[in-house]
Parts: sequence; C-alpha cells; structure tokens
Amino acid sequence: MTATISHRRLRVLFAFFAVASLVLSARLAYWQTVGRGELLSRATDQVHSDLAVAAQRGIIKDRSGAILATTVELRSLYAIPAQMKDRDGNDTFASVAAAIAPILGERPEVLRAAFASGAEWLFVRRRLPEDVAARIAALHIKGLGFEMEPKRLYPNGAVGAQVLGFVNDDGLGQYGVEGRYDDELAGTPGRLVVARDPANRELALGLRAAVAARNGDDLSLTIDLAVQNAAERELAAVVEREKAAGGAIVILDPKDGAVLAIASSPTYDPARVGSAKAEALRDRAISWTYEPGSTMKAITVAAALDKGVITPSTTYEDRGCATIGGRTLCNAGFRSYGQTNVTQILARSQNAGAVFVAGKLGAAELNAYVHAFGFGERTGVDLAVETGGIVRPLAEWYPVDLGTISFGQGLSVTPLQLASAYAAIANGGTLYRPYVVASRRDADGEHRTAPVAVRRVISQETSATLVTMLTATVDIGIANAAALKGFSVAGKTGTAQIPSDDGRYVDDAYISSFAGFVPAIDPRMVVVVVLERPQSKLLGTVPAMNTFKTIATDALRYARVQPDRP
Amino acid sequence: MHGASWEIRSFLLATSVIVSCFLLVLLYLAQATAVSAAGYEAQRFAAERDELRRQNALLVIESARLDSPARVEAEAQRLGLVRAATIGLIPSEAVAAAR
Repeated sequence: MTATISHRRLRVLFAFFAVASLVLSARLAYWQTVGRGELLSRATDQVHSDLAVAAQRGIIKDRSGAILATTVELRSLYAIPAQMKDRDGNDTFASVAAAIAPILGERPEVLRAAFASGAEWLFVRRRLPEDVAARIAALHIKGLGFEMEPKRLYPNGAVGAQVLGFVNDDGLGQYGVEGRYDDELAGTPGRLVVARDPANRELALGLRAAVAARNGDDLSLTIDLAVQNAAERELAAVVEREKAAGGAIVILDPKDGAVLAIASSPTYDPARVGSAKAEALRDRAISWTYEPGSTMKAITVAAALDKGVITPSTTYEDRGCATIGGRTLCNAGFRSYGQTNVTQILARSQNAGAVFVAGKLGAAELNAYVHAFGFGERTGVDLAVETGGIVRPLAEWYPVDLGTISFGQGLSVTPLQLASAYAAIANGGTLYRPYVVASRRDADGEHRTAPVAVRRVISQETSATLVTMLTATVDIGIANAAALKGFSVAGKTGTAQIPSDDGRYVDDAYISSFAGFVPAIDPRMVVVVVLERPQSKLLGTVPAMNTFKTIATDALRYARVQPDRP
Repeated sequence: MHGASWEIRSFLLATSVIVSCFLLVLLYLAQATAVSAAGYEAQRFAAERDELRRQNALLVIESARLDSPARVEAEAQRLGLVRAATIGLIPSEAVAAAR
C-alpha cells in the first residue's frame, strides 16, 4: 500500500504555514518597532530598582566637640510568620516566641499572638540595641530578619534635652535645636536606580543612575557640656529640695550672647519622649514667662542712671510705702529705711525706692528702656518655640503701672530675656541676640555664626556704675548669699507673686530668682536661676543664690578663671 | 586539482571566521563575567565598609556616653570620691616672674 498525499492537502498545509509565517513576522515586526518601548519598559521594570537614598542627619556637638546628638543605623527585627514552619509544615510560633522573648524582655504569649495575627510581615521590635540584635541574629531563626533603620541617639541622656529637642518617629526635629535647624540637619535624600539580579544584588553591567544624598549639616553649639551638666544637676537638686513646681537656669557669655547652658525642670529624656509629660517638653527658659519681681529693679535703675535723672548717691526719704496712681506700694515686710540712696535701694531691694526712681524717670522712658533691654519681644535665640513675654503698650498703662513695673510686677519675661538684659549690663551696655549654634559645617566647609549686637541699651559709664551697685548688693546687701570666695559677683534677687486666672495674685506662693554675673569686672558668665513655688516661699531667693553659687564655682573652676579677689 | 584547492581554501576561511567569531564571543563573555563578578565583589566590600562604619559610629557613641560628665560624676560618687573644696591656683604672672 503506497501512501499518497493529495495536492490539495499540500496546498492547504503550505498556505497555513505561509499565513502563520506572515502573522508571526508581522507580530515580530510590531514588537520590534511600535511596541518596542513597552516591551523594553516591562523588561526594565523586572530588573531595575529605583530607591530613595536616605541622607544622614547631621551631628550636634558642644563647644568642645563632645557629641550631643548623632544618628546611627540600628537593626529593626521583622517577622514573616508564613516562613516559621518546621519540617512537617507546622507553625513554630510558640518556639520562636519562647526563644526571643527573654532577649527582648517581652512575654512569649505577646509575641506568639503577634505572629498568629495573620499579618504577612510585621515589625517585632524596631531599632534594637546592638547587643540585643546580635543575640537574636545568632539564633538564625527562620522567618525572622533585620532591616536597618536610622535612630537618633543622645549619648548624654537627658542632659541638654531642652536645648537639643528630639527627633520624632517620622524623622522630624521637634523643639530646641533639632526643631529650629531641622532643614539643615535633615539634609536631602538622594536617588539610586540600578539593575538587580534575581537575588536582589546590584549588577555591575546595566543601567545605573544615582543622585547622591546630601547629608545634613553638622552643628557645633555654644553649649558647654560640663557647664550644662552642672546647671541641670543643680537645678534638679534644688527643685527636689524645695519641692518646687519647676525651675529654669540660663547661663550666657555676656561678651557676645553665646548660650553656655540652659536647664529647665521638669525635663525629659529624649530617648523616651513617648513617656514624657507635656509640661516636661516645655523649655521654661524660653517658652515660659513669669513676673520677674525685684530683678527688674536693676533695669529701672539702669534706665534712670542712663537718662541722668539719678546718681548712685541720690537720696530719698523711705517711709516703707510709696503712693502712685492712687495706689500704695510697699516694701517687703512694710519696713521703712529712712534716708536711702539708690545703691541702698538695690542692696535692700526696696520697692518704694524703685517707685521713687521710676517717678524720676517717667512712664514713657521706663517703657522705652524696658523694650530696649529686649522685654516684650522674642530674643531671637535660634531655638524652636520661643515666647516673647508681655509688656503692655504704654497707652494701656495705668498710672500705678509705672510703680509696679519698676519692681517687676505687671509684666512677664522669660528667664532668657532676663539673662540677656543682665548680659547687656555686664558687658558695657550692648544687648546681644542670644545664640546656640556656634557654627554649621556642610560640604562647603564651616560657617561660623557671627554674634549679633542688637543695640546699645545703656552707656559704658552707666554700665560701670550699675555693676558697682550690683556688686555692693552681693557684697553687703540682700544678695550676700551669692557671694563667692575669690571672685567678685554682681547680681540681684527677685521674689515675685504669681498671677491667678481671676487677675489677683495667688496666696503664699512665689517665684524666686537670682540674676547675676561673675566676675563682676570682665565677667565670664551671666547666670539666671528661677524657681517656681519653692517651699521656702519668701526666702526662696536663698536656694536660688546657693544654686548660682554652686554652678558658678564649678564653671569658673572648669574654665580655669583666675580669682579677681584675695 | 585547482577546484579542490579552492574548496579547501574556502573551507579553511569559513572555519577560521567561525572560530574567530567564537573566540571573540568567548572573550566578550569572559570579560562580562569578570566585570559582573568584580561588581558583586565590590558590592560585598561596600556592604562590609558600611557595616564597619556603622560599628565605628556605635563605638564613638559609646565613647561619648562613657565620657559624659553626668556618668563620670555618678561613677565618682559610686567610688566614694568627693569634690575638692578648693583648688589652689598660682597666678601666671608669679610663675612667669619666677622663671
């Protein structure tokens, strides 16, 4: 039997192959021409990865180069529960939880419940300490892995927290330097487009496009870690001893307004911001105001001296009280001192004397000098969330305000404003803008902050006269507890009442403060100590002065300042 | 005879071309493989460098933590050390005069 193929069948077969060839050729031609781009795009997507490259947040250092804040990559532990199976395919949630729970300090049932929650992928714990991560990694548990995440670390713990601020979980700086300089510290993320193999490794051959990340700037602060530590240690101690509601300490370099230390109580640990109370986040040195009380008398006397309406030896007859605007304003304890000169007004902190000086000066001039010393407006310090205090416009002053403001009631200030004003008295009469960042280092090099002289407030002569008077206040006057062995100290105490919501003053509760500088001649630092509601009440200035004394002793010793007195 | 010689030459030429092409392709593949391998190696070194930098950063932080005045004070207290009541200072002028 001979097999034959009919011609018709052969023609059909040929035609089929011919048509098929044509269709395939046309399709091939389409993908090589019109559809080429789409095909290329699909192929590229399979192997290319487009990643944002995180910028390294800048380092913050103190004036000596000690690290105050820095960022490192820490390992975050994640789990893929579906991979937690034994050889028989059974879940190993319980054994995995039991293995890692003691290392994480967590209860095993909590971890087991998380693994069994149905999530495909979950973070078990983020940003683990390095030793903890290493111990878990050594277990080589299937279904657990690590991912690097940046973590802001503060090696000095809570020291400097109010100045530094913190970085939240979204990587944004909050409060302090972190908040104020967030843009500079954060830098700019880069971009990396590379071809990757199936194992997710970058291929040396293939497309590679990269825009380098610009790391954040490093900041060097004017803060001195040793002085900052002393300020915080002493503030915490005095607040505890006095059972005070809070307190603040500001230390400035009077020569240029550089902030050496800022302490605020209550405070917080930047590593545990989540557990901090809202009140603890407020920097009382710049975001809290109070009536300054008698520390303001130095400003009143400075204004009157500068205008030439009084001299240190100008006298008046003190009868214990002064009447102004139909109101009677009295000395503490209603004491009368008789014939008194202006130096004694400061040395004894006489309210009636301050009213006398203010009367010589006049409301317009006092108001002008109060503003010139920087009260009623923000100092402009380079920290986040500063408040300006309240000095009512002159048009809103009642006649009695001339008297009350002369001894620090009826206006509110921040501790930093007061320190800044005392710095102007100490340095010869120039008000400087306080600043915290001494220099910023970026890719172009170091950019130093130039101190800003805001204005001349009083003359050199007025400054010198007032320094002598404030030195007498410490040497022989009410602020004698602030006297330091071997050093001249100039300063003034302040006890202020606390306004209540109904416009009156709170009974039997005070804000005690001391503002001073040392050495009185050629001063190295201005220190303001403020205590809110100390249990010593009217005697609260004594613990404030003792705190000043301890801090000044430490800071002068640390700075190797030569004594200026035998 | 002339015809056979032409055929042999053609065969040799074709063979040479094919072998040359093969060798060229082999050379290209060898180079591409070497570049890829070097790329992987470079990537491994980069990862190693990054990890060493990270470990270094952690050590710097640990050093800063140990240098912290608050920690040093706490440690001094633990050891029973007390702050010196006074520190004797010799004026620099006196030292200079004595030289």
